[in-house]
Amino acid sequence: MITFERTGKRFGNLDAVKDFSITIKDGEILGLLGPNGAGKTTLMLMMGTVYRPTSGTITVNGFDVVKHPNEVRRLIGIAFQDPRVDGILSGFEVLNWHLKMTTTLDKDERRNRVEDALKALDLWESRKKRTWLMSGGMKKKVEDAKILVQRPSIAVFDEPTAFLDVPSRLLVWKMIRRLRDEGSTVIVATNMMDEAERLSERVAIVNKGKLVASETPEQLKGTVKGGEVLELTLNDGSEFRPDMLTKFPEVHDVKKQDNKILVFLNSGTLLLPKIVDTLSTQGFKIESVKLKEVSLEDVFLTYTGQRLE
Amino acid sequence: MSSSPTLDNGLSKTATAAEPPTHLILQTALRDVSVLFRTPWIIITRALAFIIQLFVFAFLISGLIHIPGLNFFEYYAVGSVVATIASISFVIGYDIFEEAEEGVLDYLLTLPIPRRQFIIGRALGGAMRAIIYTIPMFLIVAFVWGFTQPFSILTALVSLFLLAFGVTGMSITVAVSVKSANRFDVVLALLELAMSRGSTALYPITFMPFYVSLFAPFSPVSFAADTARMSLVGFTLDLPALAGLIAFVVIFLGLGAAFYFRRLEGGIYG
Ligand SMILES: Nc1ncnc2c1ncn2[C@@H]1O[C@H](COP(=O)(O)OP(=O)(O)O)[C@@H](O)[C@H]1O
Ligand SMILES: [Mg+2]
Repeated sequence: MITFERTGKRFGNLDAVKDFSITIKDGEILGLLGPNGAGKTTLMLMMGTVYRPTSGTITVNGFDVVKHPNEVRRLIGIAFQDPRVDGILSGFEVLNWHLKMTTTLDKDERRNRVEDALKALDLWESRKKRTWLMSGGMKKKVEDAKILVQRPSIAVFDEPTAFLDVPSRLLVWKMIRRLRDEGSTVIVATNMMDEAERLSERVAIVNKGKLVASETPEQLKGTVKGGEVLELTLNDGSEFRPDMLTKFPEVHDVKKQDNKILVFLNSGTLLLPKIVDTLSTQGFKIESVKLKEVSLEDVFLTYTGQRLE
Repeated sequence: MSSSPTLDNGLSKTATAAEPPTHLILQTALRDVSVLFRTPWIIITRALAFIIQLFVFAFLISGLIHIPGLNFFEYYAVGSVVATIASISFVIGYDIFEEAEEGVLDYLLTLPIPRRQFIIGRALGGAMRAIIYTIPMFLIVAFVWGFTQPFSILTALVSLFLLAFGVTGMSITVAVSVKSANRFDVVLALLELAMSRGSTALYPITFMPFYVSLFAPFSPVSFAADTARMSLVGFTLDLPALAGLIAFVVIFLGLGAAFYFRRLEGGIYG
């Protein structure tokens, strides 16, 4: 079990993480979802004993990360957002050295694990290539593979599929799920909605260093009132005011982004003609209309007031 | 929290693995050594440069200088091996500073090796690397001047190693305490210059400018050069110099490990 208790990290006069509290259960996959700069990496590096929290505490299986860093390091493995691999070494050597440092496996066991991972991630052909000659995507897979071969009790993947092509993303997701099935607790930091939704059992939304919500993706969607979203694009939204639509009892919330209006409501199909009517009589030109179920994307928007990308 | 701290998560042995620290120190050191073997041409070019410097420049100079009772060519040869090992030992600090800038240090700091052991492993790796690198030059000098006494060779190598280990410790201490790249380069370059040039490695103390002769006897490079020459040429142990070398290592690795390295934190600060 991992506990963050009112954890904070200040860099100079910037609060990268502020008053962050969460408990992560053994064996779950937690998605840490937030835009760039939200504080995800800082959170993970504090847990991994690289940064010291400037306030609050973090415990990993009961060990305080500041007081017992060596015990914590034996439990955790972090696949970094930007690959941290020695350029002069090959993928095989990077993984083999990582295993020498993190496990008691003997030479044969190490070779088997590394071979399996390289094959599973489609890196076998380039196993002898120095990593500085690899493409960004290949290097990223080597970085992820470090933790996949290590199989730590707590595995952290920081944006594990950034810069990967679609087939590679699927491979990495499959391997991460397998790691969880074998008993590891997994934390995936991501700014990609599909990754959070497809991989995690629970999603923690992080924004500006703070935890804004943490539930299963389904529960999160349930917290958005109405369950439906009407997306309207106006040719000019500058005169639009939310109260033009909140007067309908079925409308729970209205968000405006430039010319795009998001209306959170129920009975959308019945209400749609009335909304179109209201706006037309006010002189707005409607360019497009889309009615859909609430997605995690909408959840994110309602909690943070902004979109991910 | 109700549950007591535990390292066992019911996982395979790898998750809770605790290698003995000595093994981890060695693996850390070997990582630095292995870099050298991946670029063997560096050793070859440096050995060639050394030969040229020694047999052209030093030979010329010793023709110009006549010091009664001193074979300056021999003096210079041993001293330049010592100066070389000092200068190569400084490299590990640059390596670590670069790792910090590139973020590789953050990765290394997540590995299950305590901070002090990590630094000691890096210092050891840097020193082993410097010794391996200098051995061809040492052999050339030993061959040309006929140093064949095993005990003197051993003592000379021990003093070289102590110097290397102390310098790597110092270089790493500077690397992890100076956060600005410009200042780091300057500090390290100055230290290297002061230690090597302000030492008895290449010139006897009686020929130095007065202000250099004041602190040159206390340079660790002097300690190592004096020990090496005393044992290779004079077949005796220079105990005070040897003690100085040990003190140098203790100061930078012992005290650093006890008070400073423990608090090492990752990240690059503006
Ligand atoms: N080592 C550091 N020094 C100074 N500021 C930092 C450092 N690391 C991160 N930050 C800042 O902290 C904030 C959070 O960054 P980060 O944790 O990397 O976010 P995320 O991983 O969610 O993109 C950002 O504003 C970033 O610029
Ligand atoms: Mg990040």
